[in-house]
Amino acid sequence: MTVALEVRNLRAGYAGREILKGVSFQVEADDFFAIIGPSGAGKSTLIRCVNRLVEPTGGQVLFHGVDLLSLDQARLREARRNIGMIFQEFNLIERLSVMDNVLTGRLGYTGTLRSLMRMFTAEDISQALALLDRVGLGEYVDKRADRLSGGQRQRVGIARALIQNPRLLLVDEPTSSLDPKISREVMALIREIAREFHVPVLCNIHDVELATEFCTHVIGLQDGVKKFEGRPGELDAQALQEIYSMEVL
Amino acid sequence: MKGRAVDIRAAAIAAGRRRGRALRLLAYLAIFGAVLWSVQVIMIADTDWARLAASSAGKTLKSFLEFDYRLLPELVDPTIDTALMATLATLAGLLLALPVAWLGAANISPLGRSSYVVGRFLMTVSRSVHEIVWGLIFVSAVGLGALAGVLAMGVRSVGFISKIIAEAIEDVQPGPIEAIRAVGGTRLQVLFYGILPQIVPVVLGTMIFEWDINIRRSTIMGLVGAGGLGLVFFRQMAMLNYGGVATVILAVLCLIILGEIVSYYARKAVI
Repeated sequence: MTVALEVRNLRAGYAGREILKGVSFQVEADDFFAIIGPSGAGKSTLIRCVNRLVEPTGGQVLFHGVDLLSLDQARLREARRNIGMIFQEFNLIERLSVMDNVLTGRLGYTGTLRSLMRMFTAEDISQALALLDRVGLGEYVDKRADRLSGGQRQRVGIARALIQNPRLLLVDEPTSSLDPKISREVMALIREIAREFHVPVLCNIHDVELATEFCTHVIGLQDGVKKFEGRPGELDAQALQEIYSMEVL
Repeated sequence: MKGRAVDIRAAAIAAGRRRGRALRLLAYLAIFGAVLWSVQVIMIADTDWARLAASSAGKTLKSFLEFDYRLLPELVDPTIDTALMATLATLAGLLLALPVAWLGAANISPLGRSSYVVGRFLMTVSRSVHEIVWGLIFVSAVGLGALAGVLAMGVRSVGFISKIIAEAIEDVQPGPIEAIRAVGGTRLQVLFYGILPQIVPVVLGTMIFEWDINIRRSTIMGLVGAGGLGLVFFRQMAMLNYGGVATVILAVLCLIILGEIVSYYARKAVI
């Protein structure tokens, strides 16, 4: 198995407060990692440190062997093209159509001038259409993003990430804004797609049940420290107690 | 077979996008053409180029740069006047704007649609009359001097402040209002606990902004004899003392920079 992502002793913080206190783990090609832990444990920061939406203060993030933390802005942008991201609040561009939202996933490959004219290539458009069909939104191509329901919006978000042809998917609380039924559907879709496209996934999720059901590996984070790593089956009551002890107190 | 169907749809979408792009381009061209036409009609055709060439435009402009520093001591009092006028006018504007905003906010307007229309009408009246015109009105009503200027700017401020506040009231989160109503609060209590705390940042931010604008306004209120730096400005202009005019402008600039600094810190402290 090839290692897609290796995080070594990652540290992050701001204003003198440490949020991540040296976290390490490895994600292999077909892994679906769940990061669980209480609110404020640093889950979101961890995921954002991988593509440097949050700038880490120390450690290494090796993406297919290249340390992302050492890259300059231009090379970082190139690396980001290969990392898809799915957000808690979907982060769609509300006033643009579903098609345009998915096509924004190709901006990393589209020149500035062409993108200002919204000129995307024919291949991009047909790939966007195929992906929208795949996530079940083939009928909604021309709808404006703000006309969709939460579940549909998240599907647009998934299509936008996939059109990047990513080699890693970062998923930040994909189900927190959705109801339980839609949450399961979205998680199932992400898992199916990850298998179909052979993309490893790193997914923050506060819902332990969903994490153990859909993921292949679980990392338990508490107060910026990794307290648990293992298969979902190994996550017993004692491990949970360990991860969530702050809340029990 | 399925792949082909997708390709056909993709081609149709691509064609639609090309049409949309062409239309957008056409619209841009039309706007550009309209701009060119306006420049031709109102700037090129309407300017007396011969006179401009023969006149001493450059020399006159240069004489503005010869600042008349002897004027400086005489500017201290008017500058303070101007700043005080702006402050008073902003407070007066807020006082008048609160009830207008209350009337003009669709969700809380006391008599529904009819009072809403009255509120919106008052906002429009305030904004559609220029401050100089308000100044003329108040100068004839209360006589020359700063009072007329304060009243003119105060009334002129109402439109903007109340419109922004009314819109903030319309945009408040319904949750807190529900909570206050659920505990048995009266309409007034809903207003004070459910709505007011939510709009405080907007109110204060708008006031700081309006104060900033009123400093600028008060510098020209002198035009209608309403005191302050504007009065000195128009006296210098009447004497054709361009250096003096420039010095007054300098004083205005200093005051506005000061206002900018004050509003920066006020904003930070408040919001």
